[in-house]
Amino acid sequence: MAVDFLDRYSRGSTWCHRWPARLKIVLTLAVIVAVVLLPISLWPIHGCLACLIFAAHAVADIPLSYLLRRVALLLPVVLLMALCVPLSRGFSGGWELASALVARALLTFLAALWLVNTTPFDRLLAAFRQLGMPRSFVVLLAFTYRYLFVVFDELARMRTAQRARTFGRRSPWAVWNSTVQLVAMLLIRSLNRSERVHQAMLSRGWQGEFRTID
Amino acid sequence: MSHASVPILKVEHLSYRYPTGQTALTDVSFLVGMHEVVGLVGPNGAGKTTLLLHLNGLLTGVRAATPGPATSPEPAHAVEVLGMQVVPANFPEIRRIVGFLFQDPDDQLFCPTVGDDVAFGPLNLGFPRDEVRSRVSRTLEAVGLTGFENRVPQQLSFGERRRVCLAGVLACEPDLLALDEPSSNLDPRSRRRLIDILKACQAAQVVASHDLELILELCGRVIVLDQGRIQADGPTRDLLSNERLMRSHGLEVPLSIQYGLEAGVRPVSDP
Repeated sequence: MAVDFLDRYSRGSTWCHRWPARLKIVLTLAVIVAVVLLPISLWPIHGCLACLIFAAHAVADIPLSYLLRRVALLLPVVLLMALCVPLSRGFSGGWELASALVARALLTFLAALWLVNTTPFDRLLAAFRQLGMPRSFVVLLAFTYRYLFVVFDELARMRTAQRARTFGRRSPWAVWNSTVQLVAMLLIRSLNRSERVHQAMLSRGWQGEFRTID
Repeated sequence: MSHASVPILKVEHLSYRYPTGQTALTDVSFLVGMHEVVGLVGPNGAGKTTLLLHLNGLLTGVRAATPGPATSPEPAHAVEVLGMQVVPANFPEIRRIVGFLFQDPDDQLFCPTVGDDVAFGPLNLGFPRDEVRSRVSRTLEAVGLTGFENRVPQQLSFGERRRVCLAGVLACEPDLLALDEPSSNLDPRSRRRLIDILKACQAAQVVASHDLELILELCGRVIVLDQGRIQADGPTRDLLSNERLMRSHGLEVPLSIQYGLEAGVRPVSDP
């Protein structure tokens, strides 16, 4: 899985990509709020919103296969949560609520996916700032996004190094063990890196307040 | 000290121990004059980075007691920048004066776009927006990356990222540059670019590097650090051509000296 899996199509050049970022944020939020707040008895409206979301993806040239793969990662979690509803009623009811939960989760996820895949992340951040999102929150998002790439890169290199020293088939136990080591190593490295990033910030006069040029 | 009038940097009897108790620096003393470019060489683990981290207060070592019986405690501060002690009260001013280039560009390049990153230092220094914008475009031009303001770091090559970092440092217009392995991992062309940028730079510089050719080219003076102590301090050519000194500290005489290819005397090339 490559790291651009997150927003592979964000630098496209379709009609959707050219819309102002703020407009896209507001539209996406409106759709999400509508999906979450409208009672599920009004399901035709949800159906229309679903059509709208898929149409938007189509206009933005985001392939269906990409959407399906992203949804496949989310679905197990959502299904598990949804299953809890009928489970708590001894499977004698609650299926409606469960299906509503799944539908809402998927639709909001797809709407957000459209947003990040039609707007480069730095422009999205600037738009969030213009819309009055608290600065510390924007900075947090910015750092998360920036270092996701760095950490992913590091993970990829560590895995390559591990594979280079792995011969033949290994037992599941050995695979599990080495994966645990990899994750632990990654955590330690990230911690050390955060220390160095902080030093670099201090070196350029950081005094606890994030300022931006616009 | 040869041509230094007012020292920009004064390090006196600096000692530092890691929190683990391991000694990193022992009784390190030297001066750096205005506009002087000093190389810092030594094997891995010699304490080069640790020493650099003291120049702007990221680490604070203690002033070792002067030789002889320890009588009264000395003033605790071993590092002075332009006559200012490196203590928290002076950090804002000292961090404007001392620019620090880290070894890994990804540690230093933390903003969403190149423009934001170069602007980070000047904004923290409190410059008005217009001044910040002009500094950003000026420094990006100086490092040969004109028009890169809206690029994002993960799309840049390693050499470009290193130069963006340098632009971010230069945008604060420092008087002293602390450079940690500026040429590491660079291809020859990027390395040459970097050397040219540093040569054009007016600030005094302390350059820690294993790239002895770079040291030879940039620095008039070199300090050999090994096991946390200064082993030699003198004119670059004299020290780097001293084979016994180089070998005993895990270094070697640069090829250009071994083969007599001094600056100006180029290897045979087409006219």
